[in-house]
Amino acid sequence: MMEPRLSERLRGIIGSPAGTTVPAPAVNDAHAAGPGIHDLAALGGEWRDNCFVVERRKSAAAVHGREAVGVLADRLQQASADAPMLAGGTPAIPPFVFFDLETTGLSGGAGTYAFLVGCGWFDDGSFVTRQFLLTRFSDERALLSAVRSELARAGALVSFNGKSFDAPLLETRYLFHRLEWIGACLPHVDVLHPARRFWSPQGSTSAAGSCSLGALEQQVLAARRSGDIPGFEIPERYFRFVRSGDARPLAAVLEHNRLDLLSLAGLTARLLELVRSGPASARSAREALALGHVYTRSGFDTRARDAYAHAIAASRAPIGAFDAVKVDGLRALALALRRARQYEEAANCWQQLLEVRGCPPHIAREATDALAIHHEHRKRDLAAAKLFALRSLETGTDPARSDAARHRLARLDRKIALSAPLSSFLS
Amino acid sequence: MGEPQTDLVTASTAVAARSKRDGALDAALDRLAPGPALERQDTPDLHVTAVRRLPATPAQYAPFPPELDDRLTRTLHTRGIAQLYTHQAQAIDHALARRNVVVVTPTASGKTLCYNAPALHAILQDPASRALYLFPTKALAQDQLAELQTMCEAIAAGTGEQIGVFTYDGDTPQDARRTIRARAQLVLSNPDMVHSGILPHHPRWAKLFENLRYVIIDELHAYRGVFGSHLCNVLRRLQRICRHYGSDPVFLCSSATIANPKELAERLTGKPFEIVEHSGAPRGEKFFVFVNPPVVNHQLGIRRSYLSETRRVASEFLKRNLQLIVFAQSRLSTEILTTYLKDDFEDVPGAVERIRGYRGGYLPNRRREIEKGLREGAVRAVISTNALELGIDIGALDVSVMAGYPGTIAATWQRAGRAGRRASRSAAVMVASSAPLDQFVVRNPSYFFDASPERALIDPDNLHILVDHIKCAAFELPFTATESFGAHDVQEILALLAEQGLVHRTAASAAGGHGAPGESEHGTWTWTNESYPADAVSLRSVSSDNFVIVDTTREPRVIGETDFTSGPATLHAKAIYIVEGKLFQVEKFDFEGRKAFVREIDCDYYTDAITYDRVTIIDTFAERTPDRVCSHGEVHAVSRVVGFKKIKFYTNENVGSGELDLPEQQMHTTAYWLTIPAAVMGALPYAADDRRDGVVGLSFAMQQVAQLLLMCDRHDVGISLDAIDGDEKIFLYDNYPGGIGFSEPLFRMHDELVARTRDLIAACPCENGCPGCVGPVGDTGPLAKAAALRILDMLVQLSIASGVDASGLSAV
Repeated sequence: MMEPRLSERLRGIIGSPAGTTVPAPAVNDAHAAGPGIHDLAALGGEWRDNCFVVERRKSAAAVHGREAVGVLADRLQQASADAPMLAGGTPAIPPFVFFDLETTGLSGGAGTYAFLVGCGWFDDGSFVTRQFLLTRFSDERALLSAVRSELARAGALVSFNGKSFDAPLLETRYLFHRLEWIGACLPHVDVLHPARRFWSPQGSTSAAGSCSLGALEQQVLAARRSGDIPGFEIPERYFRFVRSGDARPLAAVLEHNRLDLLSLAGLTARLLELVRSGPASARSAREALALGHVYTRSGFDTRARDAYAHAIAASRAPIGAFDAVKVDGLRALALALRRARQYEEAANCWQQLLEVRGCPPHIAREATDALAIHHEHRKRDLAAAKLFALRSLETGTDPARSDAARHRLARLDRKIALSAPLSSFLS
Repeated sequence: MGEPQTDLVTASTAVAARSKRDGALDAALDRLAPGPALERQDTPDLHVTAVRRLPATPAQYAPFPPELDDRLTRTLHTRGIAQLYTHQAQAIDHALARRNVVVVTPTASGKTLCYNAPALHAILQDPASRALYLFPTKALAQDQLAELQTMCEAIAAGTGEQIGVFTYDGDTPQDARRTIRARAQLVLSNPDMVHSGILPHHPRWAKLFENLRYVIIDELHAYRGVFGSHLCNVLRRLQRICRHYGSDPVFLCSSATIANPKELAERLTGKPFEIVEHSGAPRGEKFFVFVNPPVVNHQLGIRRSYLSETRRVASEFLKRNLQLIVFAQSRLSTEILTTYLKDDFEDVPGAVERIRGYRGGYLPNRRREIEKGLREGAVRAVISTNALELGIDIGALDVSVMAGYPGTIAATWQRAGRAGRRASRSAAVMVASSAPLDQFVVRNPSYFFDASPERALIDPDNLHILVDHIKCAAFELPFTATESFGAHDVQEILALLAEQGLVHRTAASAAGGHGAPGESEHGTWTWTNESYPADAVSLRSVSSDNFVIVDTTREPRVIGETDFTSGPATLHAKAIYIVEGKLFQVEKFDFEGRKAFVREIDCDYYTDAITYDRVTIIDTFAERTPDRVCSHGEVHAVSRVVGFKKIKFYTNENVGSGELDLPEQQMHTTAYWLTIPAAVMGALPYAADDRRDGVVGLSFAMQQVAQLLLMCDRHDVGISLDAIDGDEKIFLYDNYPGGIGFSEPLFRMHDELVARTRDLIAACPCENGCPGCVGPVGDTGPLAKAAALRILDMLVQLSIASGVDASGLSAV
């Protein structure tokens, strides 16, 4: 009864095509499926097992930022044994396959597709990319199989934010087709996490935004892109291709993805080089500090102390500004020295820490606690110990720590009372 | 499964306690309604309008179905369950035979075993099996989790079989979700989570969807109106995903008593259902009492505050040491009553709290503590919103007192069911407020006791709702070109979504010649948008979006809340807001932030908003012939608060006014409308203004009765008047874009609507109108009541004269 009115009422709810940016495809005909795909050739790829693959090779002599591709390849090769240090100890071994997706959205879920799976690796000094493009949704299964064979030969996957985004999203696609996701059994180095420690302006507290691949590529690799399309335009470009069949607008998306892969490889090479050659190769105090943390986590204490010392020496905060790197470095070094039983040197670090302008109260508190312990038990300078314990009580608000400080003070007072000469000296 | 079902109450102490409680209850009832309680006549004009006795019924048992896994029956034995109640056995029989079943039984009749037994049986038979439980609230899921875990521990202890039971809802930590997806055999969730967290991620739930044997829908009656219409579409999506994974789950539902449980279950799921509606559980004798607070001002028809009356009633039971639950209508009245009763009965601060409040917004730990206190008897009275109406386990109490009519027959029985022990007497007392609906029910007890409860209505094919879920479904799984979804042509809807770029249709014969063999020759509709459509769809209607009132006189504090639709009319700038006689003036109305900032004020007037609302008929679907007094169809409703009047207290003089500029609310929806022909209007023996007052008063009363007939909330139905060519029209429209299925039933119930409205007005003891019938005299004029009755009588005569019968209801 209401059928004739349905489309009118629907238009009131869904909206009419006029005024939208979407070109209306021909869907009125029951069998119309939109225009056919054309100009795939513009992308420079070929069909392999029902999957459209674009393969490119960037020669060793080509330059990316301040380095030639061949140099990046060499560095990566030389330092590959140190890769587990960046992968949280997982046995990441070559060959490394860099991977990066372009997707139809950021939310994940069954309706978000990975329409481009980009893989890259170094081969004989040059950088090879192989990109798998989903030209039709019905070919997704074929694409996933092709990607699986590609990844199967990897010793480790390397990505930028891939552990949180690319891998789960791709896993969902495999699960959708009831296929096995090979990534689950491959070591995975997510470069975002070390990159944050090495390069984000404020350390771990910073949002990923200032630590994006694009920002790092400029800051660390000094690479510039021209004519690159912004990431947020990518899904819409793909949808335009899906609706019009015209593949030409995708060329820029593929190029964007290739550059992402190359920058990812460049950043990985830089990180591994730092880890291999140590703090002498650091370009900033912050890099040296982050290096110290990497060594500490991997149990290389001597190298870690060296890195921290470098960081402290190199840190140059603007006059009057709070020097976060210096504070972190001194604290880390003090802890490392204490572990190495170099108590005097550790105390020296804590002492320096107290002299840094604007040292955060919780760290100052840690320093005074440590110094109180040091003076009470090692130096046996009870008066000094008492002064530090009193300082601890003044600076902190954490009740458990305040209780500990009060206990220490009471004990110190008893000890001081027992050693009369000292107490008379104090009074 | 709450209590052991064998009658263990044999110890003489227990018998003594029982008879002592019975005696206390009798004494309290005698204070309320002196004289012999048994089979007393209804007395609409007295303080107590009705006392009904519901006799005790003995238990009816049935053996365990032989095919039920004997590990399960053995475990039930160890927990004191040696046999089943008849309704449990029937429900389990249906479930094991893969027949969808809806069980309609009172509170505390062991309904959970009806669905837990088949689910556990399936898992014991095949550990790969899965069951999905849907509860309308997270609290209910938590409550069931505790019970199921106890059961599963007992099974593990007896048989070594480990069964994974988990809740999966908005509170589930992200890092636990992967584990739960892998290990949960019984998944306890809610429709909102299934809608936005499970279905869109179905590939991660492949194990669940491949092996889904049972979908359990508890508290089925909660899914009516907008929420039910959404759930129906969520279930369509769920079944679509199940088909994709090759499973075909059986639905097991439980419902409180409503008129159409089987129909509701069948509409929600699109599947045929068996119904089990005769409870085999024993029930003690119960008394049901209706109390109407006495009139204190006859002229204005003002009654004593129902909250004070509730306090008095509750005290009679409390001082005799009976355990009770008091239901209040809002969070605010819950708090007020809690304060009253604490003042009366908790003289020692710091002692065990015997009187507790309970409502949404309390932290889960506090709620668990109160529930435990009730079960163990330490808490003697709990004052609750409808939060405790649903099946949270609080044990069986002696008395249920309702402050105000809960709004529907079904909810009233549900709340009354919170009191009732198996072996002793219990009582339920409903204290009416002065709202018209309350007054109608309290003065017409047989309407409540003898009529069937309300029908739960849904309209899953409301285009707004349907389109939203089609987007979600397309995101989850591409639509094929031959697929259907709901009552409308999904292919046409998809074509329009394609115009917006939300989906794209691909066919097998695309260019390049690389099409995979075996692909659907008609192609598919694939989601081609960056968004996650489920995020844009909330299953609960807009009415959950409240305004809060913040008092800034001293330290800012929230003193109340108002639902979304009445916010602009009552909380606009300069409005006087009244709480318990205290006057506040609104200083700032933050529409976007849903807040009104008020300050205490001393003044002698209140404000009344001037609302401009207008309903225009777009299309008439049906009209009754030949008298043409009622119709239904599609309308355009516009409403805007344009100003306000200042009205002096007592004299009702208009002492000022103001203009307002508030956003207009407009929508397309469906409506029922009553037409009072110009001839009838002209024949009324009153002045033109008084005739008009009659129409206004009539519409006021009709709205209340419509709410009663439709089992809906107060703001689900809007009202508007219009005069077209001398005919007066009263529109009752669905207050939801696109309509939610109330209009057609109202059209069909027109005669009942008219008759009940007439009863309401005629039986009201006020002289010239009051809030309980045609509205306060100050609003509707002195002759509104008489004119409204006259109009109704003339409409009935018109119908008789034109020979209308049921066949007159025809589509145009």
